[in-house]
Amino acid sequence: MSLVLELQDVPGQLVAALEPIASVGANIVTIIHERDAKTGAFVPVQVTIEGDEKTLDLAIKKLTEKGIRIIEKDGIPLKEKVNAILVGKISEEELKGIVDNINTLEGVKVADLSLKMSTTTSTIKITMEAEHKSLKLLEDEIHKIGAKEGLLVITET
Amino acid sequence: MKISIIGFGAVGQGVAKAISSTQQRIKKKYNLKIDIVAAADSKGAAIREDGLDPQKLIEVKSEKGSVAYYPDHGHENIDGLQVLDEVEYDCLVEVTPTNIITGEPGKSLITKAMKDGKDVVTSNKGHLSLFYKELIDLARENNVNFKFEASVGGAMPIINFAQETLPSSRIESIIGILNGTTNFILSRMTAEGSSYEQTLKEAQELGIAETDPTQDVEGLDAACKSVILANAILGRECTLDDVEVTGITRITPEAIELAKEDGYHIKLIAEISHDILRVGPRLVKETSPYAVDGTLNMATLRTDLAGEITVIGKGAGSLETASAILTDIINIWKSRQS
Repeated sequence: MSLVLELQDVPGQLVAALEPIASVGANIVTIIHERDAKTGAFVPVQVTIEGDEKTLDLAIKKLTEKGIRIIEKDGIPLKEKVNAILVGKISEEELKGIVDNINTLEGVKVADLSLKMSTTTSTIKITMEAEHKSLKLLEDEIHKIGAKEGLLVITET
Repeated sequence: MKISIIGFGAVGQGVAKAISSTQQRIKKKYNLKIDIVAAADSKGAAIREDGLDPQKLIEVKSEKGSVAYYPDHGHENIDGLQVLDEVEYDCLVEVTPTNIITGEPGKSLITKAMKDGKDVVTSNKGHLSLFYKELIDLARENNVNFKFEASVGGAMPIINFAQETLPSSRIESIIGILNGTTNFILSRMTAEGSSYEQTLKEAQELGIAETDPTQDVEGLDAACKSVILANAILGRECTLDDVEVTGITRITPEAIELAKEDGYHIKLIAEISHDILRVGPRLVKETSPYAVDGTLNMATLRTDLAGEITVIGKGAGSLETASAILTDIINIWKSRQS
């Protein structure tokens, strides 16, 4: 199984990421440090590991528990769930427009919508699935939509 | 060490109280005797070269409304600048109210003290968020200490912590909750499902929110603190105008409920990095360090060498803020001894 991990560009991070893999008995076959693909303070590291299915699942679980971000598994970008809450006056049509707008972004899909209405305002929670590389773009887009429609936008930290 | 306290509201009185209750310990531990040689409020001042009695100052203030009525040493209708001319002192403790339009009267008081070669400790955010560079340069030119730990996060150590405890690390970003009033309101809305208006009223009745809560709820207080941290810790040159600010007034109980369904809380978060400077409501995981409740403040510093470090502490309160002011005074004393 091949994983691409996103590690902080700080000494000791690679060892810290390999430890949970080794601890469950998975065999580390190759490590490729993709320094050329560095984004901000993070470096993608490709790790190929071997083991039975249960061991590999456990390795992924341990990595996630340690807060290590896995951005790709066997060549497929992993999608992350992202929530945003919008508050303000909004019509059904405008809401549809917002969803369509988000769905046009590359690597992003609206997965769920919750809507609560009060007499004066609507509160909408949009749950999206986004590839790691699209997260920043998505955040910017949602804030752009909020500014355009006069909505309060609450995104994740 | 002779100090002049200008501004004798909650924080000024807290400083007097803290000095009174810790004087023996501080004398024993640091060989430092702190004498309050002047205390001033908007109506006048009490001045005594040999030191005023801190307890008496608090008593007079609460009974008669101003330190100007301090027996034998009180002066009515004298302003802070005149007080600084009248008295021999080593360090100005400037605790006048925050003014985010002009930074006054704090700015003039600090400027005068520095030009007179005096050290300055302040809890005031106004002048710092408007004229940070000017004030720091002035302190350097006049070779005086200028400390302001109490201006951000009350008792929560962050400025001295970053500058003195972590000098080996480059701080990449600071993300945190820097306003206790909004944190209290949002925590109560989360716990009780109440509306913003109702919860604000409750906070005002408890004395946690001010009668005019604008600066807190519109995010301006947190924005001032973000500017101070950006300048002092990240070395950015910015002012209040550079902060993107959104407050909490539009947050609905429905928004809080929808957030809770997925294990999130809504918090007013300040984000400060080398390219971001913003304050606004954000979703934070209920299991994250950002999920502190009540009037607590917190900040996570992301560093290159030490990873992430989180500090949590009481963000307001007269004695808590006074503790940060006293720490600055003691540190100035220590630096003057070496």
